[in-house]
Amino acid sequence: MDFAVAVSSLVGILTSPYLLGLMMIGVLVGIFMGIAPGVGGKLGLVLLIPFVYGMDPLAGAVFLLSMHAVVHTAGAVTSILIGVPGEGATAATVLDGFAMTKNGEPGRALGASFGASLAGSIAGAVFLGASLGILEPVILSFSPAEFFLLAILGITFIATLSGKSVIKGLVVGLFGLMISFVGLDPSTGSERFTGGQLFLWDGVDIITAILAMFAIPEMISLGVTRQTYASDAPTTQHIRYDQVRQGLWDVVRHRWLVLRVSLLVAAIGVIPGLGGDAASWIAYGHTVQSSKHPERFGKGEVAGVIGAETGTCAKEGGSLLPTLFFGVPGSSGMAIMLGAFLMLGLQPGPAMLTEHLNIVWSLIWSLMVANIICVAILLAAAPWISRLAYVKTSLMVPIVLLFAILGSYLGHNAWQNLVLIIFLGGLGYLLKRHDWPRAPFVIGVILGKIAEDSLLKAMAIWGYSFFLRPISLVLIAMIIGSIVFYIWRQRNPRVGIVHG
Amino acid sequence: MLKRVLSMALGLAISCSPAYAADSEMFKGKTITYIIATGPGGGYDSYGRLLSRFLQKYLPGTRILVKNVPGAGHIVGANTIYAARPDGLTFGTFNTGLIYDQLLQRGGVKFDLSKFGYIGKASNDTRALVISTKSGLHSFDEVLKSKTPVKFAASGIGSAAYIETRILQNALNVPIQIVPGFDGNEGEMSMLRNEVVAEVGTANSLEPFVKNRGGFFALALTDSDSLPGVPKAMTYAKDERAKRLLNLVSTLSLIGRLTAGPPGMPPATLAVLREAFTATMKDPAYIAEAKRLGLPLDPASGDKVEAMVKQALAQPPETIAELKRAASQ
Repeated sequence: MDFAVAVSSLVGILTSPYLLGLMMIGVLVGIFMGIAPGVGGKLGLVLLIPFVYGMDPLAGAVFLLSMHAVVHTAGAVTSILIGVPGEGATAATVLDGFAMTKNGEPGRALGASFGASLAGSIAGAVFLGASLGILEPVILSFSPAEFFLLAILGITFIATLSGKSVIKGLVVGLFGLMISFVGLDPSTGSERFTGGQLFLWDGVDIITAILAMFAIPEMISLGVTRQTYASDAPTTQHIRYDQVRQGLWDVVRHRWLVLRVSLLVAAIGVIPGLGGDAASWIAYGHTVQSSKHPERFGKGEVAGVIGAETGTCAKEGGSLLPTLFFGVPGSSGMAIMLGAFLMLGLQPGPAMLTEHLNIVWSLIWSLMVANIICVAILLAAAPWISRLAYVKTSLMVPIVLLFAILGSYLGHNAWQNLVLIIFLGGLGYLLKRHDWPRAPFVIGVILGKIAEDSLLKAMAIWGYSFFLRPISLVLIAMIIGSIVFYIWRQRNPRVGIVHG
Repeated sequence: MLKRVLSMALGLAISCSPAYAADSEMFKGKTITYIIATGPGGGYDSYGRLLSRFLQKYLPGTRILVKNVPGAGHIVGANTIYAARPDGLTFGTFNTGLIYDQLLQRGGVKFDLSKFGYIGKASNDTRALVISTKSGLHSFDEVLKSKTPVKFAASGIGSAAYIETRILQNALNVPIQIVPGFDGNEGEMSMLRNEVVAEVGTANSLEPFVKNRGGFFALALTDSDSLPGVPKAMTYAKDERAKRLLNLVSTLSLIGRLTAGPPGMPPATLAVLREAFTATMKDPAYIAEAKRLGLPLDPASGDKVEAMVKQALAQPPETIAELKRAASQ
């Protein structure tokens, strides 16, 4: 039965030196891809796919998945230490992780992030394994109507993530939405805001937008102030293990948050059409909204790091499953992975569940085992890794900019992206300098396209009656609840601040 | 000593064939770039990588590098191949849907498909109509008789699959309501959710869906026998106009997975590449590997591909006007 297949698949991986060796290489490559700012998982896949051509399907898939699974885990390192995220999903970690580094707690932030990644990937894998049987009806009950409303729910989090001024947050969020509308108009097929540029037909590259909003402004201000980030931190040279241990303990303290976010995000990841990047931000939004002291977020609240990191790692398994069973990718990274599966001769479809259950389990396990290996390596290296925060500005700025530019260029082989990164990067610096929130921009860019696309489909299929579908009604109630809760909180600033 | 004898024997063997003699002169020690107009992974990438791996064998002394140049629905990749130096060291593959783009004179197109140096094609790309099993419909005739518009999933407006769905609608007066914007296998998901009834796509990509009984092939848009037992769209065509429109779709899909180089390649160079391509297509190891990867083969030579492309491009103004309507509705 299922259980026997699950166990034998795990044993199969753990007893095969070939597979373990491939995983090890995958993990090491993934750590590099994650830490190098702007390279990230999608680009990592694009670069590695040619190498797996002709490999045995399972081995090739395990190798690519191991690499992809740990990119987010390792990506937290640069998000936390230098404020530069690798991808859309890890950008949420910057908000509190980087603030913690500035507060002199880089070790704790790293510990919390590694612990949360591990917990998230294990919880996500277990949840998915347990729900394999009911997966099909669950996946099929979500349609464009629900994708649209989930995207709108995500967009309402802009308010929560706006910091002091909702107006500023909305302005930045709407600008993000506008950027997401660049490309071919889905309702007419004509060019929209592309200025006749071919490279904009497929829309603004999300990696370029994220790097421009986070990496470039950080590097400019670092160059301007000529300081290292942690220079005013109390522990200037060594990050001791006690800080890392404290971070790990924080994860245990927030175990219910970890569990909640894991389940929420694994479930969202399973629904193709929303995407993994969206899942991470919804996880972060939920963490802030459900916290008793939301005012601390963005200033170095450890729960923010835990929520975001649990989210980014738990979604991996979630987005793998629709890719395998329906050939419909659950995230943008999985869209590339799907191409790789086809190339390896793995034909996604419902038959995976009946005829190739061992492959499904092997892939779920490899996501988990790869993360365990990765966290072990990163924890062992944490004191050295955290010295990144003390690297001299004159060394840091050119290296990060080089990787950011490479990442932006290599994704689409379009030099025009370099012009775009400079333009948006300048804008990002202005926002940073004048204390405007930048997270709403990312939400706008990621969710705008999903919202527009699903709205058009839902209208074409059902007309306005799509609002009356049962799950739609639940989601509408959640959207209204989210807004009402926010307004109520704004009006009663002291309510809920229990721990001061 | 043994080495010398072997190399002499090899040299003699190669020099016996005039084409290969020219070949070794021309390409020996050179690096060839094979451009694939999509990102890594997926059908075009698989066909491209498979070909370049085996083609090397028939262009001795060369190294073939694969380069993915994605963007704007294959236009960027095709532009790149077209603009390459015509020395035979750069060629590649792109979607035949670009024929629509050229006929429609879309912006961004910097090539003339009639001028590429066609090297060959590896396979057809049969187009078919799939009807969902959940829809309660059992044949294409039932779709034709439907009193209310039948919902069809299609990819984005202006894309090849969208245009082909429109052509089917206009040529045979099918009562269709197209729901656009479905990428990849999303249309199949929508059929499983019983939101849409049918979809026009490539038979190869729809096959797993049909195998898993999510739907059945109801109509073949390609005028070939690759889908035995499935009625052909052409048999429903009542007039010349309908035949012309359906013939365009059929020709495009028969061209399928092509390989082409820039215009202006010297005839001798093109001949060597075509010969090496044809030899690759007959290589048992190549055929076995294609089978293992689930890539159907139905090869044809470069001159045949060129003739088919020219035939597809030679459309009367009324067909182009119809195409314009199909691309924008």
